[in-house]
This record gives sequence, structure tokens and C-alpha cells, in this order.
Amino acid sequence: MTAQLPALQVAIPLACAPLCVLFRVRFVPWLLFVVAAVGSLVCAALLAGRVASEGTVRYAMGDWRAPAGIEFVVSAFNTPVLLLVSLAATVTAGYARRSVAAEIEPRRRRLLYACLCLTLAGLLGLAVTGDVFNAFVFLEISSLATYTMIAMGQHRRALLAAFRYVVIGTVGAVFVLIGIGLAYAVTGTLNMADLAERLAEGHDNRALQAAVVFVFVGLAVKMAVFPLHAWLPGAYAEAPSVVSTFIAATGTKVAVYVFCRFAFTVFGAALVFGVLRIDRIGLALAALAMLVGSAAACFQQDLRYLLAWSSVAQIGYILAGVSLATASGVSAAYLHLINHAVTKAALFAAAGLLVMQLGSVRLSALAGLGRRMPWTFAAIVVAGLGLVGVPPTAGFVSKWALVTALVERGMWPVLVAMLASSLLALVYVGRIIEVVWFREPPASAELEPTQSPATPASMVAAIWFLVLLTVYFGIDPTFPGGLADAAASALLGSGGE
Amino acid sequence: MSDVLLNPGLVLIVGAAGLPLLRGRAQQLYLLALPLLALALLVRLSFGERGRLSLFGLELVTIRLDALSFVFALAFLIAAVLAVIYSWHLRDATQHVSAVIYAGAATAALLAGDLITLFVFWELTAVASAVLIWARRSQASYRAGLRYLLIQALSGVLLLGGAVLQHSVEGHIRFELMALDNPAGWFVLLAFGIKGAFPFLHNWLQDSYPEATPTGTVWLSVYTTKLAVYALARGFAGTELLVWVGVAMTLFPVFYAVIENDLRRVLSYSLNNQIGFMIAGVGVGTELAINGAAAHAFAHIIYKALLFMAMGAVLHRVGTIKASELGGLHKSMPWTARFCIVGSASISAVPLLSGFVTKSMILAAVAEDGRWVAFALLLIASAGVVDHSGIKIPFFSFFAHDSGLRCREAPAGMLLAMGLAAALCIGIGLYPQPLYDLLPYAVEYVPYTASHVITQAQLVLFAAAAFSFLYRRGLYPPEIRSVNLDADVVYRRALPYGWHTASRAVERLRLTAGPPLRRRAASTWVATTGPLRPNGRLGTAWSTHLMVWCIVLLLGALILLTVR
Amino acid sequence: MNRTPRPGWLDDPRNVTRIVYGLYAVCAALLVAELVIGRKAEFGIEAWFGFYAVLGFIAYCGIVYAAKALRRLVRRPETYYQDQDVRDE
Repeated sequence: MTAQLPALQVAIPLACAPLCVLFRVRFVPWLLFVVAAVGSLVCAALLAGRVASEGTVRYAMGDWRAPAGIEFVVSAFNTPVLLLVSLAATVTAGYARRSVAAEIEPRRRRLLYACLCLTLAGLLGLAVTGDVFNAFVFLEISSLATYTMIAMGQHRRALLAAFRYVVIGTVGAVFVLIGIGLAYAVTGTLNMADLAERLAEGHDNRALQAAVVFVFVGLAVKMAVFPLHAWLPGAYAEAPSVVSTFIAATGTKVAVYVFCRFAFTVFGAALVFGVLRIDRIGLALAALAMLVGSAAACFQQDLRYLLAWSSVAQIGYILAGVSLATASGVSAAYLHLINHAVTKAALFAAAGLLVMQLGSVRLSALAGLGRRMPWTFAAIVVAGLGLVGVPPTAGFVSKWALVTALVERGMWPVLVAMLASSLLALVYVGRIIEVVWFREPPASAELEPTQSPATPASMVAAIWFLVLLTVYFGIDPTFPGGLADAAASALLGSGGE
Repeated sequence: MSDVLLNPGLVLIVGAAGLPLLRGRAQQLYLLALPLLALALLVRLSFGERGRLSLFGLELVTIRLDALSFVFALAFLIAAVLAVIYSWHLRDATQHVSAVIYAGAATAALLAGDLITLFVFWELTAVASAVLIWARRSQASYRAGLRYLLIQALSGVLLLGGAVLQHSVEGHIRFELMALDNPAGWFVLLAFGIKGAFPFLHNWLQDSYPEATPTGTVWLSVYTTKLAVYALARGFAGTELLVWVGVAMTLFPVFYAVIENDLRRVLSYSLNNQIGFMIAGVGVGTELAINGAAAHAFAHIIYKALLFMAMGAVLHRVGTIKASELGGLHKSMPWTARFCIVGSASISAVPLLSGFVTKSMILAAVAEDGRWVAFALLLIASAGVVDHSGIKIPFFSFFAHDSGLRCREAPAGMLLAMGLAAALCIGIGLYPQPLYDLLPYAVEYVPYTASHVITQAQLVLFAAAAFSFLYRRGLYPPEIRSVNLDADVVYRRALPYGWHTASRAVERLRLTAGPPLRRRAASTWVATTGPLRPNGRLGTAWSTHLMVWCIVLLLGALILLTVR
Repeated sequence: MNRTPRPGWLDDPRNVTRIVYGLYAVCAALLVAELVIGRKAEFGIEAWFGFYAVLGFIAYCGIVYAAKALRRLVRRPETYYQDQDVRDE
């Protein structure tokens, strides 16, 4: 049984997806999603334990040996991602029941759960696979499911956002496919380890270089790197709350992981950062993303758009860490990836709760509500301080790690951009605090308390679990820090500089 | 670990916590028992280092007792006993607590073997002593105390900065002889210099001491500056710069003391001048000079406390200490007057009194070192001491023209404390050997040679003759109610004035240039942030073709820039 | 002690004059003593007869006159800083 864990990791959610559609009983689809999420979390935890004790785990699909067959690889570089995705799914599952009940019309609910299972399966598969074409397939599975879920948003704007995401996401996926095809043409293999072996030489092959560029530009869309970020604010802000909570924590993060996986263990750092100097462009785009994302967040009128723009900036931090291509940089990127995922999930979950109770999260509608809903807003403020990077939140720890990594390489302009972005983050978080606690509530708000439904305990529990997790990771970062360090050394150890 | 508690300073600091719990006679006795206990502990403690602590990987040595720290600590604790007796009449737990903590912190700072421990107690002395100034409970003392605390805290911050620098450069925080060839040394020197009232850093002293309570000033006069002298002797003995700093310190306060009206401020200038002698001795740095500085600090603590006690008693009884208001008080307070004269004669270094046997060591060391210019300047300053402390203090308060003020003699506790201090002054003057035996170095020094007695007596008495000559001819400057500008004018007048002027100018500028600038700024703001707003070019939902253009352009750019 | 307004010994100006002349006499005696007993001197002009006596007298007068000049420069009304303090508030 334990030998099959890598397959189960993906198979459980994948199997739950069609079951969700088949069962029409009210709460079964939700239960299936819970099963999928908890099952994958168990698998991920067991696998992480095995990797920690035994090292890399390789699993040949259907017992077809690599390079001919499809191989799943679990190693220190993807256990953090598996844990993160499955944990996010588990928390989302706890949060989902009441949230979905409030936002989605009954006949679509099982479809939403099916899509959630598919997305989960796709993201986990993307993380676990050791085959480039298989990676593309999982990328498409997760993306298509995500497009569908976004389109289920409450407003008609969600359809537009989903459509825009479909177009740009598909272009990105095609680019990835082109890149993979080019690499296949050059080497004749699709297995990652095999590719890495055959690509160790021949770095001046133009087709190969083009393959690298195609793959990275394609992934940049999925990561929402500025200026390919345009799909993200709409998609996050218009999607149902469950969906935005889940994909804000996982979607872009898994794309970052795939980026790292391709850069360090497929094409090799020597080619990507040595010959092609992707790192310079990566750092430049990262700095731009930090500045533009945070600046735009300052001007948003809607809490969820604000959070989405802040994600654009936070992706900049992560990309900067990866682009440094040093052990400390990659480790900082992983750490920030984990911390930001937890923080942002907490914020979107809280925003979802507000949507459910108030009907809107426009900042003007939130005026003066701090005293009426102290716990929800306290959660938002604590997590918001995490975005700024105030100790003792997790955001501080990973930003500090990133600053150290930047200083180590002497990347002063990026450091300046990062500090400026943090200041801007203080501005937008400060704006939330100002509106929520120091503005007078609008006159009509006097009537609302009687109308708003009671706060579901499951949702509050999910939110506060995530918030406390950010604080815990801020006070005692040994667990995420250890995962990140192990991941960085695993990535750089094989084919590093 | 447990020997950390063997710290006499800590005994006082911890013991002070018990004071507010007691009332009346019990409180008085407990108050007296604290310094006596600390004194007994100090005397029983053997030389050496103890009380080691490890803090964030730093090795702290909380108690380092050697000959140098012992003689200062002894003087500190004796002075604490005297000051407690002096404040016997006082029913103010706040003052008692802060005074005892202050004395304890200063003693603990003396014993500190590393810069961090020193810093901790250094700052504690600042805070505790500021309370003694505020305890006067007047607007002026509140402001003076605030200024005092700010400057003292600055000194602590500099010390901490120096400690951090030393740790980063040399890898340890031990408090030993420091060099001025790195910034750490300069930071620490500046920190000591503020507490030691170096010229231009001195004004906190004359500003704040006269504003403290009658008893508070006695405490203040003992600890802060002598702690600085000790620290300089420990860290910067033999630093050439200090000779000249010391000489300058002996000279310039002399002129101010002549024209100052507030007698406790006169004593503050005189204190500054006496510290100058010690710092000059530290700067010379020979064994005799360090001995002289330590011995002079010991004697000085006692006679300066005595003088502040006498003036405090006058303030306590009369309610003012302005020379222009006082005079003829010897009739009302004969014993206070007598003790005050003993103190005055001691500070003037009249033979047979304590100042004579200690200051002469410093002068002899300066001469022995061949520093004739410094020697001559110190002699001139000595003549000045005769004026402000030797004559002006007792003469204008107890004699001069009779102001007609009549009051009761000082309270018994005050008289007893003054009597004990006066007895010590005479005792040390007559029989200096026990003090000499305590000094850090074994040096033979004989104060009572015919030559020395004659020259010193000439210096003092001719100066006194000059006073009577000038005074009787009406040439001596009269006491006038006034404030004399000193270095504090910079932060008490010039800086606030500059601030007011600047803020007025800014205000005018704001009124004239503001509106157009604001309009311009607002339009620029809108123009630059426009794209970022939800409907702006960047913030709006991009159309699909724009997004696709982006990805294509990025791909093209990447290929052009990277593929080769 | 002297609570009754009984004129004390020092209230008589003649007694004060006596003290001053006594002081002058002691000074003269010290000069004589220097002449008779002699003293050590370590450098140049210090060896001159009556160096310390002259230094004490001259230095004292010099300090007092310098202080008078200084007073002209630095003297301000007693409320000088108070005005400032009041304006601050």
C-alpha cells in the first residue's frame, strides 16, 4: 500500500471528481471533496516522512519503467508543495460547505466540488510528476477545472474574467507545450531526469534555447508574473469564495514550483541562468511586479481586488528569490511561497465570509464594521500585517530571508523595490484598518445586523486556523524553514551551479 | 550564578523595593541599614571577578572588585550613609527609593566588568537620579529634569553604541583600557564625557543640580560625575587629550562661579571644576596621577557633599539659595556655618584638611610628568577654587551684609551628617595614610613637607587677601539676580528659537506657495496614479488581445535578449 | 542660638577690619617663612621668591576681573529662560 502512495496522491482526488457528479444527494459531493482533500493530505504527510527518512521516492506508473513510462518523483523539492496544496484543500473543504451553500445555486454545487477535486488532482499531479508531457496534461486538467469554477462566480463579471483567463491561460499552456515539443525534438525523451541528463551538453542549440524561453513564458502566465498578470485580479476577485481561497493559496504557487523544477532539474541552472541569463529578466520583472502590484492594490475599492493585486506583488517576491538561483534565494522563495499561501488563503477566506454576510466587500461598504465584526476583521488585520511583513507574522520571516538572500548577491535595486513595495503594502493594509475601524458606518448599516445571517463556526474556524498558522510560522519558522532549505538544496544539488 | 547577588549595588537596588512598605521610624532605620549593609558586604568581599552571566552569547562580569573600583565604591557607600542621615527628616518615599536605587546603580556600575553591565546601570543611574530632580515638584525642575534625562540617556545610548562596535571589532565586551584608534573608543569616550561634564557637554550639571530637592542634590553631587571619573580612569588612563580637557574644565567654570547668584549653581560649577582636576590626573595616567585622581575623588565626594548639605540646609530653612537674598545666617545657623567653612577650606586645599592631601597628588603628578603649562593653569584654577567655593559660598550665605533673615538651625539629622562629613574632612587631612593605603597603586607620597605647606598656604591665603582687598574697595562684582548664558543656551534658547523661526517661515511659505503647489501636486498625483486605479489603464480588466500582445511581446523580447 | 537681635561680635566693623589685618599679617609671615625655611622648586619661574603668593593674588584678581567682563557678555534677566518656557506651552 505505501509503495502506491505517489499514485494515490493523485488518484484519490481524481477518482472523487466523477463521483461528485454521480451522487445527487445533497452533502455527498462535499463529503467526497473532504475525502479527496484529507486523503491527499495523509498521502502527502506520509510521503514527506518517507522522503525525509529515505530520500527521493520514484514510482513508475503502471510499472512501465522510465524513460519510456511515466514516472512520479517525490523528493524534498516537491514535498512542501504537496503538503501545501493538500493542506489548503483540507482547510478549504472545512470552509466550503457553508460558503458554497450560500453562494452557489444547488444544481451547480456538485459540479463545483467535482471541479475542486479535479483542480486538486491536477495541481498535485503537476507537483508529483517526473514527466514533462504529463506535467502539461496535469497543467491543463487543473487549468480547465479552474476556468470552470471561476465562471461560477456570483456576478456576470465572473464569466468575462473566466473567459479572459481561458484565452490567456490557453496561450500560456500552448507555449509550454511548444517548449516541451522543442525539447523533445532535440533530445527524444520526455522524462525529466532523462532530459536533464541529455541536456547537460549542447547548450548552444538554438532550438533548445527557444524551448526554454517558451516554457518559461508559458509558465509565467500561470504564475501571473507582471506583465502577464492581467487575468489574475479578475479571476481571484470574481470567483466564488471557496475557489479564490483555494487557488490563491495554490494555483500560482504550483506554477512557481514547476518553474523551479524545469529551471533547476530539467534544463539545468547552467543553461537557464548561465547561458540564457533568465535570472536578470526574472529579477527585473519581479521588481516591477512588486512595485506595480502593491501600488495598484493601494487604489482598489474592492477588498478582493485589493488582495488579488497584492498577490501580483507577492509573486514578485517569490520570483525574485527563484531568480537569484542561490540556495538562500530559492529557500527564501519556497518559504515565502508557503507563508504567503497561508496568509492569502486566510484573507480570501475572510473576504468570503464578509461577502456572505454583507453581500459586498467594497471598502465603502465595510466602513465602521470593525466594532460589529471584531473577530473577522482582527483576522484580516493580523493576516494583512503578514502581507506587510510585520513581526511576528510569517511574512516577516520570509521577507527577512529574502532580504538576506538579496543582500548576499548585492541586488540593491531589487532590495529597494522590495522595501518600497512593503511600504506600499503598509499603505493598503492601513487603508483597510482605517476604513474598518475609524470610519463612521454608513447610515443604512443600522438596519443590517438583523438581516445578516449568523456566522458559521466552520468558516470562522478555517479562517482562524490559517491566521494562527501565519503567526505560528512567524514565531517558530523551523518547520517551513526546514522544508524550504531541504527543497532548495535538493533543487540546487541536482544540476545546480 | 548566585554570586551575582553579592553585589553591594544590587543590595541597595533590591532593598529599595522594601522602602514604600514601611512607615515612620521603621522606614528611617531600614533606610540607614541599607547602605550600612552594602558597606559591610563591600568590605568583606575579596578582590576578583565574580557574578559571571551569559546573555545572548555575551560574557558578562557583573562584579569586578579591584583596588580602583574598591576605593570609589567605598566612597560611594560612605556618602550614601551620610546622605541617608542628612535626609533623616524627610518623609518622601519617592525620593528615598530613587535615591537608594541611584546610589545602588552607581555602585553596581563601578563594579561592572563589561560594557553591557556598565550600560545597564549607567542608564539606571540616569533614570533614578532624574526622579530626584522631579521630586522638587516645580515646573522648572520638571523641565530641567527632562533635559537632564535626555542628555543622560544620550550618554547611555552612546555607551551602548560603543559596546556594540567594540564587540563587532574586537569580539569582546570587556571593559578595559580602550584605545582611541577605533570608533568604539570615541563612542565610549563621548558617553563618559557627557556624564563627566566635559566642556560643552557639561551644562546638564549646572542646569539640573540646582533644581533638585535640598537632599536630592546631595545625592546627585556624589555619584554621576564620579562614576564618569572612575570609568575614565579605567578606560582612558593616560589619554593625552584628557589632560587638556581636564585643564579646560578646571578653568572655565571658575569665571561662571564668580558671577553666579544661585549658590547651589555656584557649587555645581565648582563641582565641574573639581572633576577637571581628576580628569587631568587620569589624562596624565602615571601611577601617582591615578592615585591622585582616586584619592581626590574620595575626598571630593565627602567635602562636596558637605557643601551641598550646608546649602541644602539653608534652602530647607530659608527657602531660597540666592546669594543676593542671603547673608548673616551665621547667627541663626552657627553649626551649619562652621561645617560649611570646614568644607570650604577642604575644597580650597587648606593644609590639614582633606583637599590638601589629595589635590596635591594630582599637581605633583602633573609636575613630575614635566607638563609645566598644565601645571601652571591648574594652579591658577586652584586660586579660582578659593574664590567660589572657599569664600563665596560661606561668605555670602552666612556672613556678608545681614539680610535680616532669621530661622532655626538645621534639623538634627542634617547637622549630624554635616558633622560626620566635616570630621572625615579633618580626619583625612590630618591622617591621610589610611586613604593612601586604599589607593590602586603602592606609591610613597608625603603631603606634609615644609615646602608644600608653605606654597599652598601662600596660594590660598594670598587669594583670600586679594578677596578682602577687592571686596572692601567695592571692586568685587556684586551679587545680582540674573541668569548667565552658558553652553545650554544652544539647546535652551538658540535651538527653540531657530525652530520657532523656521516653523514660522515654513508656515508663511505654506500660506503663499501652498495652494498653487497643492493644485499642481494634486493634478500630478492624479495623472501618475490614474493608470493604477480600478478603471485606469493598468488596473482595469485588460482585453484579451492586449494580454495576448503582452505574452507575444514578452516572448519576443526574451528570445531577442537571451537566445544567442 | 542667637535668636535675640543682640549684635554679635562680627557686627562690629572694627572686628572685621581686625580679621582682615590678621589675614594680611599671616600672609606676610608666610613670606618670611619661605625666606627662612626655603622651599623646593621644580621649574623656571617657580623658583622666584614669592611665586605662589604672587600667583595666588594675581590669579585671583585676574579671575574676578575676567568674570566681571564675562558678566557683561552673558548676563540676562532671571526670567530669560522662563519666557522661552512659557512660549513653548
